Amino acid sequence: MRELFSLKDVRIAYGKTEIVHGVDIGIAPGEFCALLGLNGSGKTTILHGCCGFLPIQGSFTVADTDCRSLNEKKRARLVSFIPQVCSLQGGRTAFEVVLMGFNSQLGLLESPSAEHKRAALEAMQRLNCAEFAEKDFGALSQGQRQIVILARCIVQDSPVMLMDEPDSALDFLNRHMVLSKISELIKEENKAGLITLHDPNFAMAYCDRLFLLKQGNIVGELDMRTANRDEVQQKLSLIYGNIDIVENNGSFLMGRAK
Amino acid sequence: MNGKSAKKGLVPALFAAVTAAILVAAVVSICVGKYSITVDDIRAIFAGKEVDDMTRRVFLTLRLSRTIMAIISGVGLGVAGSVYQIIFKNPLASPDIIGIAGGANLGAAIAIVSVSTSGMFAIASGAFWGGLAAVVCVMLLVKATRSRSTSTYVLAGIVINAISKAIIMALKYFADPENELAAMEYWEMGTFGNTTLSKLLSILPMFLIGLIGILLLRRQIELMSLSDNECRALGVRLKPVRAAVLALSTLMVGSIISVTGLISFAGLIAPHTARLMLCRNNSTTIIMSGMVGAFVVLTADILARVLYSAELPISILTTVIGVPILVYFLCTRGKETA
Repeated sequence: MRELFSLKDVRIAYGKTEIVHGVDIGIAPGEFCALLGLNGSGKTTILHGCCGFLPIQGSFTVADTDCRSLNEKKRARLVSFIPQVCSLQGGRTAFEVVLMGFNSQLGLLESPSAEHKRAALEAMQRLNCAEFAEKDFGALSQGQRQIVILARCIVQDSPVMLMDEPDSALDFLNRHMVLSKISELIKEENKAGLITLHDPNFAMAYCDRLFLLKQGNIVGELDMRTANRDEVQQKLSLIYGNIDIVENNGSFLMGRAK
Repeated sequence: MNGKSAKKGLVPALFAAVTAAILVAAVVSICVGKYSITVDDIRAIFAGKEVDDMTRRVFLTLRLSRTIMAIISGVGLGVAGSVYQIIFKNPLASPDIIGIAGGANLGAAIAIVSVSTSGMFAIASGAFWGGLAAVVCVMLLVKATRSRSTSTYVLAGIVINAISKAIIMALKYFADPENELAAMEYWEMGTFGNTTLSKLLSILPMFLIGLIGILLLRRQIELMSLSDNECRALGVRLKPVRAAVLALSTLMVGSIISVTGLISFAGLIAPHTARLMLCRNNSTTIIMSGMVGAFVVLTADILARVLYSAELPISILTTVIGVPILVYFLCTRGKETA
């Protein structure tokens, strides 16, 4: 399959310290992939490099367009980003937050048109969050906020979605809700999705492929569509050490080995 | 702010109320002073009827320009304060945060010492270019640090303000206490007493360029309330846009304080009041902040003329009027937004 999102021999440094040492990742349209690794393994650094927050060396293309030299606006048309928590404190309605997603498509001084507003409301309806369109963003729960940010992502309409632990502030039920909506969106719109997650169980449940990151290198890759229990156990123990994998109706669960 | 946003119908009503308050204050401002003008006189002048020559002259050359100057000063400081609180994500941000007040103060002080204590044009240009130079220094300092974060601007502003303060203290120490020192102190307290039609007309174009530019960029300013990274990920070209917003607001604030001297507190309090009134923090709040600023400064200037036999410095009154307004909104709306 043709890759929509492709990193080849990518190196990223914070100042003079190189954190990511030559990583290759390719994601096809409609594929939802996860980056797994312990704290400090370079997961977030890779996403930040792709978003242009950090300079990267190597090749980074989206649909064969070289992304490294693009300015923020052009890059935002190709790559969208969902942070752990949205930095906005409030003072805007949820609807206004969704409208922000149109920024990369609008001229510098242009305002969203009636057409844009309709599309923003449709995006909210699609995620069943239209009922809090007029509520203050700050008054929403963390789960509701992430859904609004996901609606903003729909509106931004870029082929690649990058997500940095978007579930980290959520409870168990909201985690499943947000991740299943993200996964649905990626399948329906044929986007390439790359997410970082702390909990491998959620990654195994929702993602098609897992990239296993250790100290800035990819040490393994798992295709959840074809993997068997032994393969999962062997690959995940590269990162998590002494673990047990339980198989249950074709899905896997990880726990610490006794 | 985590509360519900203000009810839909309430927002136009608030705008209408503040507009009415500004209009009433503007009429009062034209009327009061050493030579009083009546409301009938104003009506007659606008209707093109015969009025006393002295009345016409006071109205045209003094009161009207002074009132307009007070309004645009309030608008400029309110808008700039609101924009800075949004883009620096700092509730303590006011127009002085990136060094403009310190620089303007230094420029005025240098003009007072080196030209004359009464050279109005020299002092105004000194203040204007001093303010601009300080902001340019802040930008250069940020560039030298090679940091891309917004908080670097705040720190650089503190540095430049501190350096200006030190030089001003040195100038004051060596200044002639009777004339120069007094002139510097008065300048720091601000007044509309020196406003003339020609000064107003010479700063108006710069003020309008700054204000209109900011209003046109309002959507980008709203986006800048997000963290720097999130803002970039949504496609805001942070560096050029931030530089443009700072340049425009500097032009606006610099042109105002070159005429009036420093006006304290208005730029800090207007945005808070506007936000508490509307329970919002978007571009509507920026406009409301300008209007609240206009009302506060205009009322302060009226009181500066009537409270005492001589004119009081404007900063005393902007503080005295601004504080109760803010406290009132903190107490009444604070519960809903807590």
